[in-house]
Amino acid sequence: MAAVTERRTGSGAPARGSGLTPYAFISPFYLLYGLFMVVPIGVGLYLSFTEWAGLGTPLWIGLDNYTRLLDDGSFRTAVVNTLLYTLFAVFVVVPTALLVAQALNARGLRGRDFFRLTFFMPVVLSPIIIALVFTLVYDREFGLLNAALRGFFGWGGIDWLGEPSWAKVSVMFLVLWRWTGYLTIFFLAGLKNIPRELYEAAEIDGAGRVRSFFTVTVPMLRPVTAFVAVTVLVGTAQILEEPMLLTKGGPGEATLSVAMFIYREAFTRQQLGYAAAAGVVMFVLVFAVGRAAGSLFGVGKGR
Amino acid sequence: MATRPAGTATRPAAGAPTVPAGTTRRRRPSGSRGLLYLFLVALTVMFALPLLWAVTSSFKPRGDIFTYPPQPLPIPFTLENYTRLLETQPFWGWFLTSTVVAVLSTTLSVFVCSLAGFAFAKYRFRGKRMLFDVMFSSLAVPFAVIVVPLFVVLVKAGVTNVYFSLIVPWVAPAFGIFMMRQYVEQAVPDSILEAGRLDGASEFGLFLRVVVPLLRPALGALAVWSFLNSYNSFFWPLIVVSDPAQYTLPLGIQALYGAEGRQVDMVLAGSVLAAVPSLIMFLLLRKQLLDGLTAGAVKS
Repeated sequence: MAAVTERRTGSGAPARGSGLTPYAFISPFYLLYGLFMVVPIGVGLYLSFTEWAGLGTPLWIGLDNYTRLLDDGSFRTAVVNTLLYTLFAVFVVVPTALLVAQALNARGLRGRDFFRLTFFMPVVLSPIIIALVFTLVYDREFGLLNAALRGFFGWGGIDWLGEPSWAKVSVMFLVLWRWTGYLTIFFLAGLKNIPRELYEAAEIDGAGRVRSFFTVTVPMLRPVTAFVAVTVLVGTAQILEEPMLLTKGGPGEATLSVAMFIYREAFTRQQLGYAAAAGVVMFVLVFAVGRAAGSLFGVGKGR
Repeated sequence: MATRPAGTATRPAAGAPTVPAGTTRRRRPSGSRGLLYLFLVALTVMFALPLLWAVTSSFKPRGDIFTYPPQPLPIPFTLENYTRLLETQPFWGWFLTSTVVAVLSTTLSVFVCSLAGFAFAKYRFRGKRMLFDVMFSSLAVPFAVIVVPLFVVLVKAGVTNVYFSLIVPWVAPAFGIFMMRQYVEQAVPDSILEAGRLDGASEFGLFLRVVVPLLRPALGALAVWSFLNSYNSFFWPLIVVSDPAQYTLPLGIQALYGAEGRQVDMVLAGSVLAAVPSLIMFLLLRKQLLDGLTAGAVKS
């Protein structure tokens, strides 16, 4: 039916071919887009070739910021960490969300609404509140997590936020906690749209539940999966709040992300030109990866 | 394949087992049902426990928040954290700033997005495809990239009004336009528009009197979405608001937490109070929000 709708509005549409009305209706967006997106991107590009601490005139230094970035160990760490978060989000969070959606889609499930709302709850809360709660959960001495580990396994006392590799794990778990419920609702909506006859046909062909998951569910969910994967990819590539609020990028730079790196250079070190250059690099990376993933999954086709 | 509005009619209401459950249940081994519920309950614990713990802790005396083993219930129970917060901190000021900003953002955003979504769904015009692609690809521009130069631009342009900086740059989210376009395509029949035109309605009048009423569920979804985004936003306010008198709620909480002695007791109380409006909003409009968010993704 999607295709039908598409075609109807495409050609048989209202005979309003001309006139300025539609332009007037979309103009607020483009005005704001120009002022608050295009202009900043241009300014950012310019600043990336300068050295500037915020006062006076930016000093043109050509490509120096970019060559400096290549040699900057912190930037490299930030890129590697961001890559790690992104891989985790795409290969762990997305499948988890699909699994949860599959569970919630079980026929005759009781309390579906309750579960769905509970899992979605983190999306509704401010990141600062979430970070605060999780700082307490991860607390080495009094935290809920270590207490639970001690209670169930007699083993705990992990310094979740103070030990470099555990700190990474903590940030990733927070990503999982915060976004799984959000992604689940997309998969759930996708699952609801799969005609039941397909499963019945698969069953008649003798397919078990696992096989019909791979022969019916996965291919039918392709468009939704594409949307979710690209959203997650682009979203996690700019991850900022989780590491910034939970660990301040630490210990050391163990959890530093690219977005945090940019923030730090700009607002705590006053290196606006350098931060802008890092921003340009990030922009190129995210845009390229987003585009590549988009065409890989076929997002945007038929639009 | 449309999710709504036709979908809502055919889809069994959640919780009400209109599906002939008997026939399917017989086929499934009951053990897997048990596993299913076990899995979901375990997840519920994982999602709800940290939040519940924070809520109960906010009613504990300061010394009881950090104890081992952690106490599940606030015994002794106290409201002291709340009273102290409200007496010593300008909590209501933060709350007011956040709410005013969120309400203004939401109103403007719903208007701008639905108008543009309507234009993209129901008009043919030159460059429509290109304009749509430009709009849509702005979704892939990372926030962190814009932040530094946008801040510079605002400062250089002499914008000192915090409300302007907090609201205006973000009132036309591409996601909202995309969502509204998807919805208009499904919910607004061309015949109604033609009839309105024959009656002599102006195009804008048509939008206000014919389209908007038909869009009500989607407007609700977009409204909650933008309210929550604005009310909860932390990073951008952190950059543009420097005067403590103009702090939003997340900034106030952050300042309190960052202050000496990490006043966790008051911070917890503040977090609980701050979360109440978002939760109420979400619970009231949950169905519209969840369906509205997924509409675009599922359809395309």
